[in-house]
Amino acid sequence: MKKLIASVLVLAMLVSVVSLLPFAATADELEPITLTVFRGDPGDQPAEDNKIYKLIEEKFGVKFQFEFLAGNLDETLGLKIFGQDYPDLFDGGNSADLIISGGALVNLLDYISPEKTPRLWAHIEPQKARLIEKDENGNDVLYIIPNYGLTDGDQIVNEVNGPAFFIQKQVLAWAGYPQIHTLNEYFDLIERFIAENPTDKNGTPYIGFDILCEDWRHFCLINPVQHLMGRPNDGEVLIDVSTNDFHTETFIDKPYAKAYYKKLNEEFQKGLISRDTFVMNYDQYIAQLSSGTVLGMFDQTWDFGNATAALKDAGMDENTYVALGLVYDPEYVDGKVIEEHYVNGTVPNVRRGFGISVTSPYAERIVAMWEEMLSNEWQLLFNWGIEGEDYYVENGRLLMTEEQYNNRNDNTWKLQNRALAFWESSPKKQGWIMDGPYAGNAWDPANQPEIVLGLMNAYDQDFLSHYGFSKFADFVNPPIELAPYGEAWQIDYTPVDVEHTDFLNIQDQRLPELIMCAPEEFDAKWDAFVEEITPSATAFGDYMQKAVLEEAAKVLGNE
Amino acid sequence: MSLAAKKNASGPATGNKSSFFRTLGRQWQLMLMSVPILLYVLLFNYFPMWGWSNAFMDYTNMKNVAKGITPYIGLANFEWLFSRPDFFQAIRNTLAMSVINLVFGTVSSIVLAVLLNEVRNRGFKRTVQTVTYLPHFLSMVIVVSMAQNIFASNGPVNALLMNLGLTKDPIFWLGEGKYFWWLVGVINVWKEVGWNTIIYISAMTAIDPCLYEAAQIDGAGRFNRILHVTLPGIRSTFVILLIMNIGHLLEAGFEIQYLLGSGLTMDWSRTIDIFVLQYGTEKLNIGVATAAGMFKSVVAIVLLLGANFLANRLGEDTLI
Repeated sequence: MKKLIASVLVLAMLVSVVSLLPFAATADELEPITLTVFRGDPGDQPAEDNKIYKLIEEKFGVKFQFEFLAGNLDETLGLKIFGQDYPDLFDGGNSADLIISGGALVNLLDYISPEKTPRLWAHIEPQKARLIEKDENGNDVLYIIPNYGLTDGDQIVNEVNGPAFFIQKQVLAWAGYPQIHTLNEYFDLIERFIAENPTDKNGTPYIGFDILCEDWRHFCLINPVQHLMGRPNDGEVLIDVSTNDFHTETFIDKPYAKAYYKKLNEEFQKGLISRDTFVMNYDQYIAQLSSGTVLGMFDQTWDFGNATAALKDAGMDENTYVALGLVYDPEYVDGKVIEEHYVNGTVPNVRRGFGISVTSPYAERIVAMWEEMLSNEWQLLFNWGIEGEDYYVENGRLLMTEEQYNNRNDNTWKLQNRALAFWESSPKKQGWIMDGPYAGNAWDPANQPEIVLGLMNAYDQDFLSHYGFSKFADFVNPPIELAPYGEAWQIDYTPVDVEHTDFLNIQDQRLPELIMCAPEEFDAKWDAFVEEITPSATAFGDYMQKAVLEEAAKVLGNE
Repeated sequence: MSLAAKKNASGPATGNKSSFFRTLGRQWQLMLMSVPILLYVLLFNYFPMWGWSNAFMDYTNMKNVAKGITPYIGLANFEWLFSRPDFFQAIRNTLAMSVINLVFGTVSSIVLAVLLNEVRNRGFKRTVQTVTYLPHFLSMVIVVSMAQNIFASNGPVNALLMNLGLTKDPIFWLGEGKYFWWLVGVINVWKEVGWNTIIYISAMTAIDPCLYEAAQIDGAGRFNRILHVTLPGIRSTFVILLIMNIGHLLEAGFEIQYLLGSGLTMDWSRTIDIFVLQYGTEKLNIGVATAAGMFKSVVAIVLLLGANFLANRLGEDTLI
């Protein structure tokens, strides 16, 4: 009997505690929550006492628990999809298409409207034709607000951040600061330089031209032709924007591509290209660039940032690179003069950034938080930091001391003082501050004109003065207007995945062979290559033509 | 005496079943102890086989997959696999590298074990053992990175060969397919030889020292003692390991080929695992990936049973 009474008492207590719980949850609207966050790229956990996260917690009652990518992105996402194991904030990195088609994300349009969230709406409104998609039932959907590329004001181009042919500054200086515009001029200059200076001052032989082929970074090998033809980066297709149907074709199997690889073959025979370049991995490539012995390469600026930093640290400014926008000489393209366009109009980073997963109970809270965070005060906090600590203001201009600016490159400092793991994938303001007391300043300190000028060292200033340029972007043409379809490399090609894999594999395999083969074999080998790649190239090209038209129609139709 | 023995022996014959349970009952502690292992095998080895059903499903439409809709498509995944010439190429590469690894690995570790067994200076023996098995603990990423530098055109291997006058121009070790399999073999030996030696050395310590003494008295020199005492002494270990390794012939590894390979050597470096990664796992096409996995398992079982049967026939200890 005693036992029974005890059990009943315990049961009663349990029931009362359980029944209290829901009330406790609804009592305070800003009940503290912890959001689980997945980032589709590797990263470091922020410090416990990070000052910006502390402010977020105070203001929004939100803590974050970050998971960063470790291992293969597609596999990680696949596991999450199969297990329906979603974080609250879900950044699918470069493979967000997977989680979108897997149905992992909520439609943000259910939460965003001009009335409810005026700032977020104003943020996406100018680009909504590109951002809002139709789902299979024909409804408007928006899964991800782009992490980058929704900018205010005139486009800022201080330097080329994307693809280009690069050349060491010392080579241009040696030749008396010439303007280099074509493929022949470029290789001719490197040849002349290397003939007179075969080794650097330590006696290490110079390498004329490097081609990185490792894994996904093989764009250094397979992408240049479209740029030589005068187009910005569309991935593996060349698109003629002057035609009504946005004529889209794979370029690698076309005669104009043959000219480039034949040129590389000639340079290989002359010893400008080392065969080791085709088997080296990314680390070796960066090490080689950092040693200052590589005179030129085709790459994208962000891809070798570590090497540039290493060269600067070592005081080897003359070995850092200038981005050149090369095009084919007329002789390669039936006498046509090609106009160079390496820099594109700002591209909203469509389908990249945080989405909110369907399993998260906090969608409302998250959207409301983003809305508040798009205010100038919060954007300043994320971009510039805390006034007096991380930057100072003089006559309405936002400025940083050298130390304050350098802090921003210090990883430990960043983990303590910036909320990058969260903010990098969140909606953000970029470009120029348009209103408020700081209107006319740049959102990103790295774009603030005073800072850009102040950061340039004496070597670079002197170098540019020989050209009469004020910034390194002056070496290439100003950006062209973004084509209606955006940039074609962003287009999802999952339906032709197998063909696309074949298409890339054949290039990985044959292009290095072509560059290294005996000159008299080149033509026959090229024909064999074209024959081998045609089936997969046709399948991929046809699909891309259709997809580009669809993308373009979306934007043109919505406008 | 003999009668008693007979009576004992006839016991099971009269009531096989009851005696089985009687034995079971008598050994219940042992039985209890084996339960966790049984559960482990069931849970981690047999239960996952349910996943083989994926090989007959269509996983190409992610939207459906997320909703749990994966239609059965019969043998289509297998048909696709076997319609690809590069899948057969991957099988060839896998087998070739496996066999090379098996031969190189076994021979090198037995030779090293025998040599170490003959060393009388304990300090030296320990040092060599430690040094040779340390690379086992290195990540393959590091090992391959080192190999890429060592075998580069201007690396130490080429420098040595050129100084010795064995070649006039540096050899393009990493870029020519014909060297790839052998490079993988050599790298694997370097990484694993010390580790693989351990089991042979332990087998050698189990050899009765009397045998060595007897052989010595019979006038056997050091070489003959190795030939007639040491090697026969480790024969059963060798056979068991061989049978087990034959079961793993289609597991030539993945990391080393993935890291060391490049576009130039793709025809020789692509193993089944890499093929599956490129066309199956990476595209989340679980159907194709599982089909390839199933194919590997079936081949492995056939090879294992075959080797076991052969060993049995040759009068050796066997695994099963």
